[in-house]
Amino acid sequence: MHAIDFLLLAITASTPLLLAVEGEVVVQRSGIINLGIEGMMLAAAMGSVIAAQLTNRIAFGFAGGIAGAALLGALFGFFAIVLRADQIVTGTAINLLALGITGFIYRELQQSEIFARAVQFRGRNLVVPLAWIAVPIVLAIVLWRTIFGLRLRACGENPEAVTAARASVAGHRWAALGIESILVGIAGAYLALALSSGFAENMTAGRGYIALSIVIFGRWKMKGVLLGTALFGVAAAGQYALQAAGHALPFHLLLAIPYVVTLLILCGIAGRVRAPESLGRA
Amino acid sequence: MRRIVAGVVAAAAAIAVLAFCGLALGHAPAELLRVAIRGSVGSPFALQGTIVKSIPLLLTGLSVAVAFRAGVWNIGAEGQFIVGALAAFVAAPWGLTAALIVSIAAGAVWASIATALRFWRGAPEVLTTILLNFVGLHLLGWAVNGPLQERIAQYPQTDPIPSSAALPRFGLTSLHAGIVIAVVVCIALWIFLERTTEGLRMRATGFNASAAQWAGVNVTLQIAGAMAISGGVAGLAGGIELLGVTHRLFELFAAGYGYSGIAVALLAQLHPIGTLVSALFFGALQTAAGELQRSANISITVATFGQAVVILTIIGFGSFRARD
Repeated sequence: MHAIDFLLLAITASTPLLLAVEGEVVVQRSGIINLGIEGMMLAAAMGSVIAAQLTNRIAFGFAGGIAGAALLGALFGFFAIVLRADQIVTGTAINLLALGITGFIYRELQQSEIFARAVQFRGRNLVVPLAWIAVPIVLAIVLWRTIFGLRLRACGENPEAVTAARASVAGHRWAALGIESILVGIAGAYLALALSSGFAENMTAGRGYIALSIVIFGRWKMKGVLLGTALFGVAAAGQYALQAAGHALPFHLLLAIPYVVTLLILCGIAGRVRAPESLGRA
Repeated sequence: MRRIVAGVVAAAAAIAVLAFCGLALGHAPAELLRVAIRGSVGSPFALQGTIVKSIPLLLTGLSVAVAFRAGVWNIGAEGQFIVGALAAFVAAPWGLTAALIVSIAAGAVWASIATALRFWRGAPEVLTTILLNFVGLHLLGWAVNGPLQERIAQYPQTDPIPSSAALPRFGLTSLHAGIVIAVVVCIALWIFLERTTEGLRMRATGFNASAAQWAGVNVTLQIAGAMAISGGVAGLAGGIELLGVTHRLFELFAAGYGYSGIAVALLAQLHPIGTLVSALFFGALQTAAGELQRSANISITVATFGQAVVILTIIGFGSFRARD
């Protein structure tokens, strides 16, 4: 494999992950840990395939992906923001829900046109530059150069101060969740429509959890998470390259590499990590 | 009282979900109910199946309950279950007792990796335990396709364990001695958590770690202890499932028992004795879903759906509020 191919593989294969990471940075900056991102991405993958197959348009597929992610995002928000339920318990429930619902729909409709026929992904691939260039720049500006971003970050550091300034903490958290839903929706759609040619059960395979780990490694900053995702992408591409080369390493052990790499990335947080002060508290 | 009401409503919601999925596929409600009851509690045979299913659920539920009571986010019961079973398989030639002890130890060690990473590198256990689930899953995949594959190397599964290491069964039923172990563990954990000072320290750590620290509790030790107990119990669940039910390992061995443990523990409001009831309920839900799949062609994934609905209903009732 040539070096250029290798890098391209590293970048495209980790693009859904990066979008999820970027979304999670926004919600965590607003003070919420959304573990349900895994389920949101899975729902997005299914939503995108259904929409793309029914309309025969890839653009509608992405819209369907965003709808799928937003549906579960709204449910998460209802419990985490409105009812102030524990975020980790809520996230876990959302993931089980997504696994159950998508599994149910998939198995019932497995023989139908929607899932039996491969998705045709045509057209230029705009998602990769979107994820690696446009979104990080826009988010960096919005989060660190606007009043909205200042307030959103304040919701994660000191929500009482936001309330005292007569701004709505819940409103900003809902906005953050909305941004995350869009990004995760695109991520799930890209995973199902471009990287695979359809839906498979539990196809996200822990990408949501890997995303959360990279957010911590990147210390809730755009530059950091870009670096973390790139590191992960190279390791993942290395795994594919080893597979393709028919290397002596057993296939199943290769499959474990992304998770071991993520554990290593999580342990690579040198020095003291300072999370947003109010992260995970209501 | 409110807790019991929440539990009953959550259980009803899960059943409603099953019914809804069936209705969506055009089945008559009465027929669905009949099939579900036939599969779960309608006959001595069905009841056996439900009880056998609820043994691993009871143990993984207890595993989660202990961890959550201590404020430790162990979402890794699935991985600990797998590693416990792997270790039990390897130790099975030395007999039943050795296999059971080794399964506990393996689960505890696997969970303690997360403890070590938390204290050494500050990596949150909620993520490390989940990531370790995936590592465990692929480790099992490798083992049953590689070094532990059956001698004739036909399927990705191991040979059966020696019969001397199998858990004895009651007469001609499928009920095995694992139920005795699980109930003993359940009562022991209840006494430990609710009736001993060490249990009080652990609960205090979960309730308010900094206050507990002020009161002289070694919070670090409590967290490490809770994680090890939690992992050990999940590992034992895997060991018992191997030695009592499947007798061999295969790729889908864990079948979500670890994740289901979270639903079991939450429906029981993290109370060990409550877990007993809740495990039986989810066991029945599983066998009912299995029968619905066989008779009415409704995919068994509705059981996972039902678990999620139970958790959401329980937290909707205001249990498990975020801590300020």
